[in-house]
Formats: sequence, structure tokens, C-alpha cells
Amino acid sequence: MKLSSKLILFITSSKLAVVLLFVISLPFLVDSIVSEYTNYSLRRQQAKVINIIHKNGIDHYLQGDDSYGSYTMLKEEYIALEPAAAKSLIDTIKTAQRVVERDTLNYRILMHTFNFGSKNYLLEIGKTTASINQYNKPLQRIALYVLMGLIALTLLFDLIFTRALIRPLGKIIKSKLINRKFPFKDYSPPVPTSTQDFKYLDESLIQLMDQINEAFEKEREFTANASHELMTPISILQNKMENLLGDEQLPENVVLRIVEMMKTLSRLKKISNSLLLISRIENQQFVKSAHVKPSKIIHEVMEEISHRLSEKELEMDIRLKEDRLLKDVNQDLLFQLFYNLINNAIKYNVNQGSILITDEFPEGKNYVITIQDTGIGIAEEDLDFIFDRFRKANLTENVGYGLGLSIVKSITLYHGIEIRVKSKVNEGTTFSLIFPAL
Amino acid sequence: MKVLIVEDEKTLAYEMEDFLKKAFYICDLAHTIKDGLEKMEINSYDFILLDLGLPDGDGLSLLPKAKKYNPDAAYIILTARGNLEDRIAGLDLGADDYLPKPFSLLELQSRMQAIARRKFNVKEELLPLGDFNVDLQKRLILFKENQIELSRKEFDLLSYLFLHNNRVLTRMQLSEHIWGTFADDDYDSNYIDAHIKNIRKKLNAWAPTDFLETVRGVGYRIKK
Repeated sequence: MKLSSKLILFITSSKLAVVLLFVISLPFLVDSIVSEYTNYSLRRQQAKVINIIHKNGIDHYLQGDDSYGSYTMLKEEYIALEPAAAKSLIDTIKTAQRVVERDTLNYRILMHTFNFGSKNYLLEIGKTTASINQYNKPLQRIALYVLMGLIALTLLFDLIFTRALIRPLGKIIKSKLINRKFPFKDYSPPVPTSTQDFKYLDESLIQLMDQINEAFEKEREFTANASHELMTPISILQNKMENLLGDEQLPENVVLRIVEMMKTLSRLKKISNSLLLISRIENQQFVKSAHVKPSKIIHEVMEEISHRLSEKELEMDIRLKEDRLLKDVNQDLLFQLFYNLINNAIKYNVNQGSILITDEFPEGKNYVITIQDTGIGIAEEDLDFIFDRFRKANLTENVGYGLGLSIVKSITLYHGIEIRVKSKVNEGTTFSLIFPAL
Repeated sequence: MKVLIVEDEKTLAYEMEDFLKKAFYICDLAHTIKDGLEKMEINSYDFILLDLGLPDGDGLSLLPKAKKYNPDAAYIILTARGNLEDRIAGLDLGADDYLPKPFSLLELQSRMQAIARRKFNVKEELLPLGDFNVDLQKRLILFKENQIELSRKEFDLLSYLFLHNNRVLTRMQLSEHIWGTFADDDYDSNYIDAHIKNIRKKLNAWAPTDFLETVRGVGYRIKK
């Protein structure tokens, strides 16, 4: 889920929760407010009545009767005045039932005893609870509508604001992270934003990429320089050994030792050459301008390598139906690519095994060439590392993937070819080369 | 034949000189461009072996000047800068061949021989090899008047051994000569054995091949 959606979701739900809480508690709130107000207005009426009695005397109400009672047309309010016991002292407001004209109704009643002319009187002023609560429901409804409207309005503002606020983050993600291909050669300018955190994030990413590039550059430079520098001492050693071997007086055991040394030197030479090749590919020192058919390259590879098939009595089956013209490639590198893959298919094959090279061009998909062998296979746990430099699989003592597959990886990267590998131990390995769309 | 070795790495230059002297070339050494040009001005050489990374400049820049002094010389570029552009630039500037370091001295000599045949029209007579005769130019091996059919690789092997006769060549040296950088010691050495077996079989049909010796654990040698 995107950050902006999360924010909006949170804001909305929190607002809704608050409103819901408010709407649910509204009756209680209204109740308490109304009862407070009722008490207040009852007290005011009480004060008014007492005031009138003090001014005009009790007979203003009693008119010579013992008691006085009056109610409004719909019995919503009533007032009663009657003599009370001398000792009783009441001053309270409570809810109780009263029978008015054969109607039993719930009233909020103020009861108050007072002295007037050395007599005790009880004053009751009542309001029906129904009349008190009549505004509750409409109030609730109106509150709900108003609040809903407010929520919608504030949400709209929130939406606009958060979108504007988070826009730089989207830009940072788009420009710095999505579709960025290593090495990050294309310059990506800082995203304009006034938010400090985004600025920091953006700058950090730019810095990080610069650091990665720098480290990568250093590694490339080192590889190039180291392998290049190694060539001279290797040359000297090789030529020294060749000259030594030319001496006919050498005893046999010395000759054998020199030959062993030469074998070791040859390994060193191969490693240096491979590293040099990888660094040249990575430094883009190869021109990609050739148009060539894979069948032609594979044919050239076979010319170079086919003699190795006979040793293990391997069967080679090349079935290129599509044979698409590969455009803007470097022929030498593609030769090397197929050479290394086919060579591995031979090297790690079993006696009387077979190698199958096929291609396909499925509708709406990219052109694929597949090289399948019936060899010893690669263990599942090693599959992720076969393209790493100097990684050796613990298959058998002298079997290591060396640099051959590293070179393959560099060449595929350089040409934008995707390489996939499937393998089962003791069943064989399949490499698929998925060529970019033309 | 007179050779000028322009190489700043002294040890390497001495090894080259040592080897070429044994093959009866007369060698001069130069370690800088300046030094090289001085020597070219005074002497005339058949071969100039030129390293590209020299302390006082790029060996490639020396080529056009050198050609003025020694227009007939054969130039072989030796360099650790194995990239194609250098190679093409070198050949464009009139170099005759190009050997990436580290190179085998045997390979160097074989290339020099090939250039000599091609460029200096060195007419080698038929060269004797046991009861056989070898024509390196036409790539033939003959028994009296009979031409013996060898495959391209078989002839390459035999002529390489023949060129470096009396010297034991390891299987690795032989396979590097035939397959270049693609030689894989573990595999191709066996293949060299198979080739030699075939050569012996084809030649033995006509005459004994005692001259082609197997040196146990090392490789092969042609004894003259």
C-alpha cells in the first residue's frame, strides 16, 4: 500500500471513529445538558414564584383556597402549591410520575418548601420529560449530517494536502530507484522539495549511488590494472621457462618440474586473461555493431571445439529453427559467450552424453536460445553463485566454475541478454539466453 | 637476420634476445623510443619487435618514423594491451603481426618465420626430415615424389615441431599454438596425442618416423 493511501485511510478512519463516538454519546450529552438547563429553568421559575409571593402575598395564588394547581394546555408543565407539614424541609429536583387529569405522566419535578406567614408550604413545578427530550433525535440527526459534511470537506483538503506533500517522495522513488540500472551513469538531479526529510532522503540516495559507482569504478580499475600489470611478469616467467626447456643438457627430473611450473603459469595466464577480458567488457571497450546469426557463431565455436566431443563420445544436436539475425552485437564476445557455454556443456558432461542447442521465438515474446546438456548438473545451493568470480562448487576436487561463467555474465549484461539456468544434479544443466527485443 | 627488440622490460628483452640468438638471429636491444629510433637510424633490421608501453611514449607513435628508416623491415607489435583497437591501429600503421603478452617465444619465432617466407621471399628448399621432405611454403610433406595427406592441424603440429627441432615441446605449448587462447590443457593435451598418433600412422606407411620422439611426461620432439 502506498504511503499516501495509508495516510488517507488512517485520517479517514480516525475521523470517522471520533464522529461515531460523538454521535453515540450525543444523547447522553444532550440529556445532561438538557437536565442541567431544566434544573436551572425550574429554579428560575421557583425564584419567580417566591418573588411574586413575597411581593403580592400567598393569596395571589391560593385565592383563599388551601392549595393551588395549574398546568399548561398539553400538561407539559404544571405548578402546585400546597401547605406542608411544619417540620418538613424539602428542596429537591427529581423525576417522578404524577397523575394530571387522569393522565399519568413522567415529570421532572422541583419540590421546595418555604415559610410564608409562619406557615410551611410546598411548591412543586414540573416539566414532562417528553417535552425535555423532544429535541434529542433531531439534534442527533443534524449533528450527524453536519459532521459527515465536515468530514467529507476536511478529507478533501487532507487528500489534496497529503498528495502535494508526498509528491516529492514519489518523484524520488521514480527518479532514483525504479528502472535505475547499475552502474548509475545517468545523472539524476535532486528532486525539488521543501520537506527536510525528503531532501535528506534524496541527497542520501544520490550520495549512496555515487559511492556505489565509485567503489565499482575502483574495482574495475583495479581489475584492469592488476591483470594488465600481471602480464609482464607472466611474460618474463614464461619466456624464462621456455629458454630453460631449450637446454638439451637438462636432467629429466628438472624438465618435468619446469613443465609443471609452466602448467601453473598457464593457469595464472588464463586467470589474468579472463579478468582482463571481464574488465574490458565492463569498461565497454567492445564495439557492438555487428549483425550476425547465431548459427554462424555456433558453427565457428564447433570448429574450434568439436574435437573435444569425441573424447567423451558426446552427441551434439544443433536445431536452430528460427536463427534470428542478432543486431548490434560484438561478434567476438558472442563467440566467447557460446564458446564458454558449449565448452562447459562438454566439460561437465558424462561419457556418451548429449548436448542439445535449440531456439524459439514465441509469439509476443523474445528470441531464446537454449543450451541443454546431460552432464553432472549443478547443486541447487550453488545455482545462485555460479556467475560469481572465483566461486567453486564442491562438486569434485578439480571442478570449479572458474571465470568462464563470470565472463558469460559480463557479456550477457553488456548485450542486455537475460540468462537463466536450470539444473538437476546428475541429470544435466540448461542455460537459456533471452535476447532483447529488436 | 637482424632483429631489434624495443622493450623497456629489460629481463623480458634479455630472454627474447637469448632465445632468438639460439635460433641464429642477430639481436640489438632498445629500452626506449629514443634509443630505438637511434638504433634504427644507424642500422638496418629485418625484424623490429616493438613493445607499445614504453617509458617515453607510445610505441605506436614510433611506427611511422621507424618505417622511414627501415621501410623493408618486418614489424611485430608485442603488447599487454590486448584490445582490438590497438591491434587494428598497429596493423593500420603497417605492422606485420601482433602478439599479445604473454606470448610464447616459440610462437614469436614461428610468426617471424612465416613473415620471412611471405615478406622476404625466403625460398626455402625442400627441407629434409628423416626420409621425408617438408615444404613449409606449400604446406606439403613428401616421401620421394609422393605427397602425404595431413590435415591442417596435423601439418601445423608437425611443422611447429620441425621449426623448433631438437627442442622438446610440451603438449600445452603445442595446443596453444593450434588453438591459441582457447587451449584447454586438460582436454587438448590428449588431443595432441591423438594428432601425433595419426601423423605417425600416416608417415609410417612410407618410412620410419624415429625422428618424432615422445618425451615421457613432457611432450614431443623432432630430432634432427
